[in-house]
Amino acid sequence: MEMPSLYLFLDPYLIWFYRLTGQPGWNFIIGTSVVAVLALMVGELTSFLASLLVRRHFTQVAGEAKKYQDLSMEALKAGNRPAYEAANKLANEAFGKAFFMQITLGASFLWPIFFVLAWMSYRFADLEFPVPYLHFSLGYIAVFLFLLVAAYFVFKPLKCRIPYFRRIQAMLAASSRAAKEMKSFADLLAPGAEGKR
Amino acid sequence: MRKRGLVILGVLALAVVAATLLWAAPSYASKLSEALAKTPQGTGPGMIHPGAPKGFMGIPGGPHSFWLFYILWGIWVGWIFSSVGAFGGIMAGVGHISVFGLSDYASGFKNTSPALNKLMTDAIRTSNQYLVGLSALISSITYYRMGRLVLPLGLFLAIGGILAGYLVPLLTVGEMNVNLYVGFFGIIVFAVAFVLFYETTPKGQEKKKAAKAAAKAFEEAHIKKTTQVSAEHAKGVQVTHWGLSKISFTFYGQEFSFNPLWPLLGGFVINAISALIGVGGGFLYVPFLTSVAGLPMFIVAGTSALAVLVGMVVNIFNMMVMRHVPVDFLLISTELIGIAIGSVLGPVTSRKIPEIWLKRIFVILAVYVGIGYLTKGFMGHSIFPGM
Repeated sequence: MEMPSLYLFLDPYLIWFYRLTGQPGWNFIIGTSVVAVLALMVGELTSFLASLLVRRHFTQVAGEAKKYQDLSMEALKAGNRPAYEAANKLANEAFGKAFFMQITLGASFLWPIFFVLAWMSYRFADLEFPVPYLHFSLGYIAVFLFLLVAAYFVFKPLKCRIPYFRRIQAMLAASSRAAKEMKSFADLLAPGAEGKR
Repeated sequence: MRKRGLVILGVLALAVVAATLLWAAPSYASKLSEALAKTPQGTGPGMIHPGAPKGFMGIPGGPHSFWLFYILWGIWVGWIFSSVGAFGGIMAGVGHISVFGLSDYASGFKNTSPALNKLMTDAIRTSNQYLVGLSALISSITYYRMGRLVLPLGLFLAIGGILAGYLVPLLTVGEMNVNLYVGFFGIIVFAVAFVLFYETTPKGQEKKKAAKAAAKAFEEAHIKKTTQVSAEHAKGVQVTHWGLSKISFTFYGQEFSFNPLWPLLGGFVINAISALIGVGGGFLYVPFLTSVAGLPMFIVAGTSALAVLVGMVVNIFNMMVMRHVPVDFLLISTELIGIAIGSVLGPVTSRKIPEIWLKRIFVILAVYVGIGYLTKGFMGHSIFPGM
């Protein structure tokens, strides 16, 4: 299958990671791990940029959901069922808007993963990895997904040690205060929580 | 309780994955190759010309648009998501079905190569799911972390979702021709059109106004009072009764109850729609739960998010890894770029265009698309152009 021109440009750089050792199996795992990490890093970057651009609107929408959610909880505390149902209905509507905003922000994180998968489909579409003891084999997609999930959990704690991503996290934390305040009720109901609100 | 709930649901999902692993399916490359091998070669309709430039899924002569069009359509979808919400998923499906010509191309093989016709139907469904469902998965993870889980509710939702995520692909992958799929898609579009239309009617608007008035009245009356957090309030969610026909729990001193059959059925139906059509699902859990059990949004958000997580994992694993349904990853990637761009434009335009007018426009669009797809799917041709 012919690659589009962008992939033809990137191919020599990406395939280099698949030729580091003399072992095909290890080459594939190392190369796929590297492209998985690259996809994660690019996804984090574009997700951060998108979050920055929509933070005001998202904060407003999330703030509305929080406001009506808090009001519905106050109504519950006061035993006022009609007020609770009214506030809960409005909280649901606001939550729906925030949910769909998050979906679009999810896209800004996911696109590099599919970009990489598309490149891999040109290179590794016919590869199969037999699973021991089962009459079954995994393709490049399954191997990529496993390594992607592993890379995500490895990258997550390391993010704060990389200066660039540390700055991103600090900026995101500062700009999403309203969304972060929708925390677990365990926090709100803990002893002494009243003074912390 | 959250950790225990997560463990139970994780075990359920793993059980389904393990069960699915026992039934191997042909690999991605061989499924497409087999379907192409069964297709007559030539330049006429319903034929494959091996020398033609490769398009969708690498099929010679398959539909192929300039990459910018995928991004532009993604911008449209992302803009709708960030302006109104639910209708964005429908538009993502419309792009795959009509705008990029995948459905018409697949229809051409209905008689000459039913295997290719059905494989392309599955590819369209799965493309819809990747585009919308994966993004919903990510937002659900966020809400799950923030929310509080009602274990019995989450359990029954997830069981229903897992069943649907396993059964629907098992029964339909490789079995549905594209016209039938388009017809079902039209039915869902009509359902969304109905909901959107109701929200724009005076009655729908009246309900929202009444809720706002009631909430404001309570807020003003309550603003100077501080209610002490009693021991009852501090307990959080407490399940008080487990039964086959009724499960009860208290929250903030109030009792809530539900029949476990409803979340089981609801989880099944919602995830079945998601697995069958590729769109819908995640956003339906919250209104379903609040109307069935009248639960606080906060609890519902976290509980339903967990059900979405589990259901989506099963759907995607089943379609992608087990059934090896092929998709065009480059198409998905470029559309996701567009959706990300559209997400930024939505907040800008929402300040200038009232939401009710957007909904009215989308109602008209939804009725147009719904009628077009229903007639195309069940009569063989759309009565409206462009479908």
